[in-house]
Amino acid sequence: MKESLLLSGSGGQGIISGGFMLAESAVESDKHATFLPEYGPEQRGGSAQCTVTISDTEILSPLVKKCSSLIAMNEQAYKKFYTNLKAGGLMIINANRVTSEVTRKDVKVLSIPCDDIAVEIGNPKIAIIIMIGALLGASGILSKEAFLSSIEQKFAEKKPEVMEMNAIALQKGIDIGKQSL
Amino acid sequence: MAQKIYSRPKSLMPMPSGFCPGCLHPLATKLIADAIDELGQNNNAVHVLPVGCSALNLMYWRGDMLGAAHGRAPAAATGFKRSAPDRLVFAYQGDGDLAAIGLAEIMSAANRGENFTVFFANNSTYGMTGGQMAPTTLIGQKTSTTKYGRDAETTGFPMRMCEIISTLDAPYYVARFALNAPKGVNQAKKGIKKALQYQLEGKGFTFVELLTNCPTTWGMTPLQSLDYMETNTIPYFIPGVYKDKGEKA
Amino acid sequence: MAKVLMKGTVAIAEAAVRAGCRFFAGYPITPQNEIPEYLSWRLPEVGGAFVQGESEVASINMVYGAAANGTRAMTSSSSPGISLMTEGLSYLSGTKLPALVVNISRGGPGLGTIQPAQTDYLQATKAMGHGGFRVMVFAPSTLQEAVDLTYECFDYAERDRNPVLLLMDGSLGAIMEQVEFPPMKELTDEGTRKWNLAKHEGETRMPRMLTPVYPEVILENENKQRALLTKQWEENDVRVEEFMMEDAEYVVVAYGISARVSKEAILNLREQGHKVGLIRPITLFPFPKKTFQNLNYDQVKAFIDIELAIPAQMRDDIEVAVRGRAPVYEYGRSGGMLFDDESVYDAIHKIVTGGAE
Repeated sequence: MKESLLLSGSGGQGIISGGFMLAESAVESDKHATFLPEYGPEQRGGSAQCTVTISDTEILSPLVKKCSSLIAMNEQAYKKFYTNLKAGGLMIINANRVTSEVTRKDVKVLSIPCDDIAVEIGNPKIAIIIMIGALLGASGILSKEAFLSSIEQKFAEKKPEVMEMNAIALQKGIDIGKQSL
Repeated sequence: MAQKIYSRPKSLMPMPSGFCPGCLHPLATKLIADAIDELGQNNNAVHVLPVGCSALNLMYWRGDMLGAAHGRAPAAATGFKRSAPDRLVFAYQGDGDLAAIGLAEIMSAANRGENFTVFFANNSTYGMTGGQMAPTTLIGQKTSTTKYGRDAETTGFPMRMCEIISTLDAPYYVARFALNAPKGVNQAKKGIKKALQYQLEGKGFTFVELLTNCPTTWGMTPLQSLDYMETNTIPYFIPGVYKDKGEKA
Repeated sequence: MAKVLMKGTVAIAEAAVRAGCRFFAGYPITPQNEIPEYLSWRLPEVGGAFVQGESEVASINMVYGAAANGTRAMTSSSSPGISLMTEGLSYLSGTKLPALVVNISRGGPGLGTIQPAQTDYLQATKAMGHGGFRVMVFAPSTLQEAVDLTYECFDYAERDRNPVLLLMDGSLGAIMEQVEFPPMKELTDEGTRKWNLAKHEGETRMPRMLTPVYPEVILENENKQRALLTKQWEENDVRVEEFMMEDAEYVVVAYGISARVSKEAILNLREQGHKVGLIRPITLFPFPKKTFQNLNYDQVKAFIDIELAIPAQMRDDIEVAVRGRAPVYEYGRSGGMLFDDESVYDAIHKIVTGGAE
């Protein structure tokens, strides 16, 4: 098993921290993982993207042309990366922000209004967790428990409500992902 | 019974100086050696050598020495002292080394308040390379790169390092002494010892400028060079204690 | 110790601490800033010292000072900053002081780009400063290897009384990957006691001088020693990985990140029945010449040098090792962009199928 995941969106949408937690939970599940953030000279704002590769065996190239799953959190990210997804790959797009019509017929598409769901749960910042949940639910690359423990590490010092909200968001995403199977 | 009242400092090798006749470097070095002996530090001192005539001390000094790159003595001293805080560390730099190529290093070490001592031998020229203009060369002073005398119009003015360094908050002791006459020599000896004493007490950065000469490249006899210092160098580089945090308290 | 996910730069910093590094001086430059940032709090925790230098020039000279005391010392920078350190590197070698210098390289020349590149190979392997000295150059291609090499670099530096360079491009510096750290090294002054300026309680020794200036005859002898050292490195210290080389007809030569991407491409080419292998120098200097000498040139048809550099910089070393027995091709990107498994596949494929000029 080798999956390369491309997470994309804009600064502030949790792209980098979401990708990091994915890689971290992979390592804690005894898998191999690499995490490559794209960086520019700006300290804040602009686009954000990262590539996470998860594999049962040693990862040779952390730089891959085509990813197996793509999360696009806004229109710009979708437009920039929709061609980077392998045929047969999984595309998870933010239905609240991606306005283009999806033209690719050779990939599986999950269009999730993650911003709306996040607000319903109580915090717009957890939209990315819903998307990651959907990825886990649809692909099964990592267990829910592994990712939850990574969230716990990140939010250990925050209020328990934060952790709880993240857990709800993750479960919601997983459910959506599983339903799509 | 005969009593020995004067002898060569333990921190110097028992050999004659090879510096040019009339040069004040050996005197400056001897004053430092005396102070280190008096403080009982001759086995503990580390002499950071610069590049320039001042580096010739490597032949005469008896004690641990570290040769630094041109201008970088304060950086090398920083690395050494931070790794060995109990050692008495001092750099001995000339004016080209300290005030031109090494300006960033001396200012930054002073500004960090590094706990070592810098002795600055200012003879207003590059002695070793043949007497070119230094940042400290006096207006009108002839050098091999200012044939008609230093012209402020194109080369600016001599840099006063004590005055500049004493504007920083961190340095603990900043002073300048002239070595052309006994009075200044005696004051210098006290100032040098004070600076080293402060370092031993962990007070931070100490800086002692010593006005010296270069009869060879100035084209003067040793005596003429001492007179030149009196009438030209000293009025511009005014001796005195520019900062002494220990006296204020 | 368990595996942890860590960024390349931070992994190097922690490995250095475990190797006994107790002094760091450095100046901010992208993409290596996590090294000084990490060590600024980590070194004081273990009784070491961190200084943010006023420049790369000052920083390398601070390392010089610390090394004179026998303290394990390092600095890190990226390409333009490394250029500023070359004087200091020459002085370290001239004075025979050990140190680790890490170059998380970016694209050049000039200010170039902050994006990754492998354009410092020639500087690293041929002339890391004036005066004709050489340094061992290690080029990891995974973060675990970066950790392990960093851990060993200080030992090589002390053994040889010469600085050691760890050369890793900015992409490996930025990547996060799982690493396992070796234990904290027991600190001794065994390697430096004979020459360092440190004082030991209750012991007296003759005064010592560490200087980069020598009378002519001694300087020549020192340089002969340095030449001998270089020979010994070539005899004993070459490190190289051979990947799928047994039956290889086409040999990719690549180091660092380029080697990793090439491996992926080679696996895909093998699936198509192409007999491609890889030689990955781990020590860029000493260069693994013998590996090339031992090849069967009835079998090997061509070499392909793959680097993030245009023109390819390792090519001269490959040509010298191959001695005209097979053609050498090159493929690279330069300017800060990376290549991926597919573009490397295409480049090799073109040569394998006779499409290269």
